Amino acid sequence: MAPALLLLLAMNLFPLLFNVYLSFTNADLSGGAVQSIGARNYTVLFSQAKYANALSTTALFVLLSVSIELVLGFVLALALRDRLPGKPVVLTVLLVPMMLCPVVLSLFWNLILNGHYGVLNQLLSALHLPQPQWLTDDDLKLVSILLVDVWMWTPFMMLISLAGLNAIPKHIYEAAEIDRAGRFMVFRTITLPMCAPLLGLAVLLRATDALKQFDLVMAITGPNDATTQTLSARIYQVVFRDYKVGLGSAYGVVILVAVIAVATIFVRYIDTLNRRTGKAQA
Amino acid sequence: MATKTVRLSVRLSGVAAATLLCLAASGCQKQRGAETPPPATGAPAPQTLTIWWAQWAPADGLQALAEEFGRKENVTVKVHQIPWSSFQDQVFQEFGKPATAFDIVVGDSQWLGRGATKGLYVDLTGWLPSAADVKSLHPLALKYLAEYPTGSGHYYAAPAETDAMGWAYRKDWFDDPAEKAAFKKKYKRELAVPETWEDLKTVAEFFTRPDKKRYGDVLVTGRGYDDIVMGFEQVLYAFGGAWGDPKTMKVQGALDSADAVKALDFFKAMLKYAPPGGSKLGYGEALEPFVNGSSAMLMNYFAFFPDLAKKMGDKVGFFAMPKNGARRYASLGGQGFSISTKAAPAQQELAKKFIAWFLQEPTQQEWVKKPGGFTANAAILKSDAFKSASPYNAAFAQSMDIVQDFWNVPVYNELIASTAQQLGEALDGKKSSKDALAALAVEHEKILSQTP
Repeated sequence: MAPALLLLLAMNLFPLLFNVYLSFTNADLSGGAVQSIGARNYTVLFSQAKYANALSTTALFVLLSVSIELVLGFVLALALRDRLPGKPVVLTVLLVPMMLCPVVLSLFWNLILNGHYGVLNQLLSALHLPQPQWLTDDDLKLVSILLVDVWMWTPFMMLISLAGLNAIPKHIYEAAEIDRAGRFMVFRTITLPMCAPLLGLAVLLRATDALKQFDLVMAITGPNDATTQTLSARIYQVVFRDYKVGLGSAYGVVILVAVIAVATIFVRYIDTLNRRTGKAQA
Repeated sequence: MATKTVRLSVRLSGVAAATLLCLAASGCQKQRGAETPPPATGAPAPQTLTIWWAQWAPADGLQALAEEFGRKENVTVKVHQIPWSSFQDQVFQEFGKPATAFDIVVGDSQWLGRGATKGLYVDLTGWLPSAADVKSLHPLALKYLAEYPTGSGHYYAAPAETDAMGWAYRKDWFDDPAEKAAFKKKYKRELAVPETWEDLKTVAEFFTRPDKKRYGDVLVTGRGYDDIVMGFEQVLYAFGGAWGDPKTMKVQGALDSADAVKALDFFKAMLKYAPPGGSKLGYGEALEPFVNGSSAMLMNYFAFFPDLAKKMGDKVGFFAMPKNGARRYASLGGQGFSISTKAAPAQQELAKKFIAWFLQEPTQQEWVKKPGGFTANAAILKSDAFKSASPYNAAFAQSMDIVQDFWNVPVYNELIASTAQQLGEALDGKKSSKDALAALAVEHEKILSQTP
């Protein structure tokens, strides 16, 4: 096990420690002498309005995308839980967006949402409906990215929810039926609590993924758009456009600390849910 | 049994780890252009000269032209093309390595400051005047595509592709008798190629018929790189504004002046006649509404016009940037050949040989015959033969006398990013022109204060 462990440590621990080291330097993308500058990168980072903007955009995106995907995914899972004619076909079609390359899909959506020649606006025009400027209207840019993300990742939530629903023992539903529990009561006291740990895990996985949101932003509005610049897009801008590797590393460290904090709280919450579910089943 | 299992798993882990390490090591090997193996006869293997450029027609033209050099010098010239969207990123990441995969990079004029101050570009000051007749080059092409600091006489590049922004227009619409009559009836003058910005706006207004999906103008307004910056620049200068004073690095008073605000208001007003989504069109995206027949006039770089002329034939005409009063400016485009300081000395010498050959007049005569091959040779630009060789050459030659560039300092990219963001907010209606330019001027001065 030792060589594999060493390799794992080298590929995970070394980049992390090197990143922390770089965050205290003036490292430049084009090379040149690297000098220590203390905590100046962190001072600059926390004083930048663009950092606060990217943080709030990312938080809003994570909150909205995960919530919408959770609700929609769970509803879809409830609908697909029972036997339906053509269920395998329906499931496969629903899973397709999740299986395709996000960057390619983002580029396609960029064409679809184009205000002049995009298919969506052409369709709306044919139906004599207003044609919003999905990619240029400030109020709609983030909505456009959210829509694409929800379209891509709701199936993921649906899959996890379906797994959670199928794991609920049938005898609990039978007992509830015997006790003449109503559908809403069954949903509120059996279905939802027993699915909660898996749903919590799904939320954690999607949230950590949504925190890294980059490809949709890059392909749809570009990394430099104030309305949609997420933390990942901001890091790209700082490292690959401003060439400031040191400052970009500082961004990375700050984000890592934030993600660890949120994930730790969440994992403890999921543990609590698991314990409660375990007691309920017993 | 348990011991055997443990030993087997240790061995398998070791094999897996060793395999992964080998794969990682092989992936770290330096990638170079095609290296020809030495011939069996013992004659010296032909050298390879690797040039990195963006992926577009002029790069194809350069590859075709370079074959002549290759035959003459027994050298393989490889023009490696990278999509515009990742060209800059890849080049500067490559410079971060101990040795670059390219010998020459055909970089944007704005990269000069960074290339010079970071020691990435070979200083050509001592070499260029002796290798080429610099007086034969258009002075503005030399100033903007080769010098850093601008006007200093220090050269870090040699002009490769000279370019400027101009206009393409639907000649068939302009020549249509019904359109001419309608224009004359409405505006009491003849429909003609616009000479002034106000003229252009009037013509754009005339051709804007959204119910028929027809629009008057397409502007370059993309936010990805410097699209919106270059699109706006010529209007800014034509109205009396400026990016700032390159000597004092003072921006406030120039970029946020009343003239600059008028320029941005005018640019915004032009967007009324653009197709839907016209406030966010990059260089490539802006071509579509013109090529698909929905727009009367298109602003873009001349490098894109050969393809337009090929696709649209007699339907398309071209003209240089209009003026405002006595002021007429066109945003400079084009790139220069810069030699990488991280290429081997022998490769650097070969690169110099190539550049000297490229700048010779016979080579330039061949260069202008290639699609998108625009010259910096002043005599060729002035010649009637060049001007009549294509429908866009005359307008291009005129444009070279009025070019204006953006900052080429090491922090150019931060300046471009902040300009794109502020101008974008103004075009999207989030901020007034005055507020956007005031904020931009403050940001620019802050960024410029970091310039070494």
